[in-house]
Amino acid sequence: MSVDYTIEPPVVHGRLSIAQIEEMVVKPLDTKPDKKFYIAITISGTFLMIGAVLLLITFYYGIGMWGNNQPVGWAFGIVNFVFWIGIGHAGTLISAILFLLRQKWRTGIARFAEAMTIFAVMCAGIFPIIHTGRPWLAGYLMPYPNQHGIWVNFTSPLVWDVFAVSTYLTVSLIFWYTGLIPDFATLRDRTTSKVKKTIYSIFSLGWRHSHRHWQHYEKTYTLLAGFATPLVLSVHTIVSFDFAVSILPGWHTTILPPYFVAGAIFSGFAMVVTVLVFVRKIFDLQQIITLDHLDKMNKVILATSMMVGLAYGTEFFIAWYSGVAVEQFAFLNRAFGPYTWAYWIMVTCNVLFPQLFWFKKIRRSIPMMMVIVILVNIGMWFERFVIIVVSLHRDFLPSSWGMFIPTLYDVGILIGSFGLFFTLVILFTKALPVISISEIKAVSDGAQPSYHGGENHE
Amino acid sequence: MSDHKNDIQNPAPNYWRSFEELYSDQKFLAEKNNEFKEGASDAPNTDKMSPISRRKFLALLGASAAVAGTACSDYQDKGEIVPYNNKPEEITIGKANYYASTCTGCSSACGILIKTREGRPIKIDGNPDHPVSKGKICSQGQASIMGLYDPDRLKSPKRKIGNGLDDADWQEVDKEIVLALSTIGSREIAIITKEIVSPTQNEVLKDFIKEYPATKVYSFEQFNESIRKNAWQKCYGSSDFPFIKWNEAEVVVSLDADFLGTGSHRVENTRLFTERKNIMNKKFNRLYSIESNLSLTGMNSDYRLMLRPDVQYSFVMAVINELQKKNVITNSVNASAFSLSKLAGDFGLSEKILNHLVNDLSKKKGKAIIYAGDHLPENVHIAVNLLNEELGNSELYDTEHSTVNVRNLSSLNEFKNLIDKMKAGNVGVVIHFDTNPVYNLPADFNYAEALQNVDEVVTLTEVENESSGLSNHVLPIHNNFEAWGDSKTRTGFYALQQPVIAPLYSTRQKESILLTWINGDTTSYKETIFHEYLMANWENSIYPTLNSKLAFNPFWYGALHDGVVRSNDISNGIEDFNYSVIMELKNAQVKSDGITIQIKESYSLRDGRFANNGWLQESPHPVSKVTWDNYAAISTTTAKQLSVKNDDVIEITVNNRTLEIPVFVQPGHVDNSITIETGYGRTNSGSVAEGAGFNANTIFFSTGGLTPWVYEGAAIKKLSRTYNLVVAQTIYDFTEKDKKDLPQKRGIIREGTVEQYLNNPHFLNGKEHKVLESVNPPVPYDGVKWGMSIDLNKCLGCSECFIACNVENNIPVVGKEEVDKGREMHWLRIDRYYSGSAEDPKVSLQPMLCQHCDQAPCEVVCPVVATTHSPDGLNQMIYNRCVGTRYCSNNCPYKVRRFNFFNFRDSFNDGYQESPVFALLHNPEVTVRSRGVMEKCTFCVQRIAEARSDATREGRTIKGSDVTTACQDACVTNAINFGDINDANEEFYKYRNHELGYYVLEELNVIPNVTYLAKLRNTHSEEA
Repeated sequence: MSVDYTIEPPVVHGRLSIAQIEEMVVKPLDTKPDKKFYIAITISGTFLMIGAVLLLITFYYGIGMWGNNQPVGWAFGIVNFVFWIGIGHAGTLISAILFLLRQKWRTGIARFAEAMTIFAVMCAGIFPIIHTGRPWLAGYLMPYPNQHGIWVNFTSPLVWDVFAVSTYLTVSLIFWYTGLIPDFATLRDRTTSKVKKTIYSIFSLGWRHSHRHWQHYEKTYTLLAGFATPLVLSVHTIVSFDFAVSILPGWHTTILPPYFVAGAIFSGFAMVVTVLVFVRKIFDLQQIITLDHLDKMNKVILATSMMVGLAYGTEFFIAWYSGVAVEQFAFLNRAFGPYTWAYWIMVTCNVLFPQLFWFKKIRRSIPMMMVIVILVNIGMWFERFVIIVVSLHRDFLPSSWGMFIPTLYDVGILIGSFGLFFTLVILFTKALPVISISEIKAVSDGAQPSYHGGENHE
Repeated sequence: MSDHKNDIQNPAPNYWRSFEELYSDQKFLAEKNNEFKEGASDAPNTDKMSPISRRKFLALLGASAAVAGTACSDYQDKGEIVPYNNKPEEITIGKANYYASTCTGCSSACGILIKTREGRPIKIDGNPDHPVSKGKICSQGQASIMGLYDPDRLKSPKRKIGNGLDDADWQEVDKEIVLALSTIGSREIAIITKEIVSPTQNEVLKDFIKEYPATKVYSFEQFNESIRKNAWQKCYGSSDFPFIKWNEAEVVVSLDADFLGTGSHRVENTRLFTERKNIMNKKFNRLYSIESNLSLTGMNSDYRLMLRPDVQYSFVMAVINELQKKNVITNSVNASAFSLSKLAGDFGLSEKILNHLVNDLSKKKGKAIIYAGDHLPENVHIAVNLLNEELGNSELYDTEHSTVNVRNLSSLNEFKNLIDKMKAGNVGVVIHFDTNPVYNLPADFNYAEALQNVDEVVTLTEVENESSGLSNHVLPIHNNFEAWGDSKTRTGFYALQQPVIAPLYSTRQKESILLTWINGDTTSYKETIFHEYLMANWENSIYPTLNSKLAFNPFWYGALHDGVVRSNDISNGIEDFNYSVIMELKNAQVKSDGITIQIKESYSLRDGRFANNGWLQESPHPVSKVTWDNYAAISTTTAKQLSVKNDDVIEITVNNRTLEIPVFVQPGHVDNSITIETGYGRTNSGSVAEGAGFNANTIFFSTGGLTPWVYEGAAIKKLSRTYNLVVAQTIYDFTEKDKKDLPQKRGIIREGTVEQYLNNPHFLNGKEHKVLESVNPPVPYDGVKWGMSIDLNKCLGCSECFIACNVENNIPVVGKEEVDKGREMHWLRIDRYYSGSAEDPKVSLQPMLCQHCDQAPCEVVCPVVATTHSPDGLNQMIYNRCVGTRYCSNNCPYKVRRFNFFNFRDSFNDGYQESPVFALLHNPEVTVRSRGVMEKCTFCVQRIAEARSDATREGRTIKGSDVTTACQDACVTNAINFGDINDANEEFYKYRNHELGYYVLEELNVIPNVTYLAKLRNTHSEEA
């Protein structure tokens, strides 16, 4: 098969008309939820409830319900936090960076990925609060003027985290909403239900599809994309500072920021692929979210996998090269200590399996990519586990070494966070257009004027 | 246009407000020009105003509202704080009072100083005026304060009804018992007591016998010095063995004697022993320890050899033989059958160490001491006495003082007879006088069974126990801190015990109970009955012997104040050695096969009497760091042979009795031997003791062993069960390549030898301390800056500081499961590191607490500024501000921060520590932390604050020596020093800047304020 790389392949397959595209995207919103929807929401809702109940019990009795101890002060709570923040990164990368780079293929998946960003950041945001000993005082982490005259400690990376994550959530939310405005207007125009019309009218902010609206919209969207772009790099960099700024061997390394960003994009793309595969099938969107999309994302996964792999190697090299015995021990302990299984799960899932994506067949095979991306998700969760728990459990003084054993509550709350994420995703698919109607129309064949009348392929 | 112009020129309509204005009244116009009415802008004339000011009015309004509000509500019942309407004498709110008294925890009867706040005792330290205690006390004594407030204490007398015990009335109970006593007929009344050290208590018993002549008193201690006494009786004609001047001994040879860890002279032994580990005058002793299990003494030895208790006889005899061969000693004992080299071959002893031992003994004649363990057979003690005598080491016997026995312990034979009589139905009443024979008596006596033939069993106890469960009457008695008493343990002084709190419950002093029965009239009981008896006894029998110049009353109050009274009774001295005992030293090898079992007193619970004390239960074993359980300690080799590992349950069979107990592989344990500590496996003994450990007394026998504590030829069977032993310090294979000597490699432990030090005092650090430069400008500390030094030469790892810290700082007990998870709350812990081989490790000890780093890693990472640095160099913790992110703990390289994962007071043992009485235990100067906050050592900031306010009141600035920390106060060996780093005139300054000083993890440059003084091992140069 010869491919002509001078010509861009069509983003939307099957020469759909603009009306067809609209119909296709809006269909889930127009139809009543079917049985599949109820089964899915039941499962995710159950997970969510499990998490919620275990969380309430934790609130009542204390963090002791979890497996955390001395010396492992941080475990599942922070692992989950970093994991979910990482998941979020793909959305911003796809919607902002790829937008600025004029990657047209992003339009099919951008809305969804952005939504996932927001949901993932919401999942992530829960953990720093619930992992504290006294969550009702979490407000102390915000700098607000108070009669005690106490400010937050600006040298603490946890405070930076608060700023980074809240900024990230705010910007993502605004960016996402801005993109949704024309679609809200479309929905408003389509619907016959009075209630829906009112809601859509409010959210569409009086959008009339006028030229002036479009002009402002395009400018705003570009500006917001520019604003969101550094966040892709900064948020996980700051999250990595939680570790890099400390003095704990295994945490105190300068490689952590790039390593975390690469890992975040890696895991985020894996999660987007995981969810999209289902969404395109269930909502019959194969023509808009095409195999080409998945292929491209798998390429990104492959690239970031190798970055992560390089980081793993570099860490070991630097540990040896630094000559710091405690650091060397920390890394040997990762690979061969009591948690050796976690380390090798991480390496296998994150570095070895994604190498299969060198093969085009595998990149374009739905079952194969499903297996690999799920493994990547598992691997990336374990990466954070290895960094956080395994570094903590054996640090400077051998007298205070310990082991971390997760409890039912740890696992349950992790499951609960997945429950929250998927519940939000499922509700999203029924509440809002999962693909940007206006944008996808713009990149579909024949939508743009061209010198040969849109006949630009084959 | 013109109209418009007109309008401007003539601004109309002309609005007027009054006729005066309209008609342009002149007066009005003048007034109009003044904005305010005349006088309105003048200063107010206060004389003319109401005498009630605005503030006063508001205050009156508020007060009347408050009065109206409270008068109509039930105010009296609301408050839990009762003010001192009549202020008790002596008590100033917020000021502690100290009372001297005596600890009744064991037969040592140490002098104690009880700190009370608002009338409740909260902390125990040693009485500085006491000639033996010298201001120090053991960890059990420290922790015994918890016993006073133990919610499990019996609150009223109980009587057996059916199968259970029911609350009863003192009078009824007394009546029933007096009836039983007076109708005893020809049968015997047996009173079983602990060792009696109180002369007045002994008088009460004598009076009791007078009133009820059928009475016999039996005294029993499961762990005692009877064998040593018998040996001394034979060797020197008196069982009153002398104390040892450990501080003058240059060489100490300990034969399976844990003289620093257990036994009743521990506090004095450790103090004297470590006087000779002095980095200031550079005098160091050398300790050889020849022992079976790695003991606290063994951990601190310079040379250690592993030998089973049954081979100790051969060992002493071989040493005698060796010294005879060298003509160092010339006695007529024939020890030719023994040889050190053969022993070395048979038991894998190091010939080099044996050579050093023999050489040291021959060179240091008169400056060495050989000391055998209490549990070793009589012939070992005789041989040791002979050897000490021959080497002139009797110089080191302290002949100025000797023990005084108020009442001798009963022999096991006497108990045997008692039990025979009980079985035959010849005993009518048994009184357990604050003792627990069902648990502590040898198993072969079948005491519990024998009790069934006794009609009336009375147990006097604070907390229910095994014996009270088999009693008809259980009578609650006063705690140590509620009771009167006296004691006489040695020549030269008496000690007094006084109550420092009124009885919390309907309990009675145990002597008063007997006095009431002696009186026969059950209504005769008064709370003061024993107090009066005690004073009378002193006035009549003790006071006259003291030749005091004071009248009795002033004398008595002076004595109570001091807690001790000097007396002029003198030691009997030591008679000449009776060489005929040499006949007892058989010249024949003792053969023994199979596995030897040794039963030892628990380091924390003693013989079980402290089992319901959570602090002691949770105190990690000084060697193994196991908490909440006892175990069978075995060597790595024996474990391999039996194919068992940690936590495997084994069945030990000795003399047809079995014990199921989990295994703990103890590095440094001798092969083919098992050591088990007893005091655990208590039943019906309070909710804390319940379920902790295994009752090893099931294989404790009066006969059939080498001694009652050592048995040979045990059969071991591995069971398929396992049992989770919880170790407070993670076990890792310290012999693996990547973990070998980690503490040394990482700069946690730094050590040297005495010789190295004497040759080059700066061998550890070089001449100059290298200080890494910081990117931040250094914070100036101009005033007092607090620091601590810990002398690892003197630190024995005994845990006394640790318990004192728990008591001072309201540390909660968290329970076994939480320790297992690694959540113990101890602010101070003793780290124990092994190095060398698993079979024969070297041990390094290190108390670890918050280092109060100048550049504290915890402080920078706290997001809410809940941990900060004070101007006097303290790393502070602000509980109110703490959110509980645990980031500080993660970033602490010493891992000394402790997090309240739960409200541990609530989570442990069904909220046992939240019962109202428990609140009385807390130190009011220290916040009781709830869940979700981080905590850690504060350098006893409450004591610093108190000293500072004292200094301010006295109009001076605070000095470093004004403050002592709780751990420092408790340290028997004075290993801990505390003071002002900046004050060059203080004693502490010498320690802080000593050439052996180092910081743990110095390369991190966190600049700790705790200095460790490197341990020096007094080994020979070729060992270095």
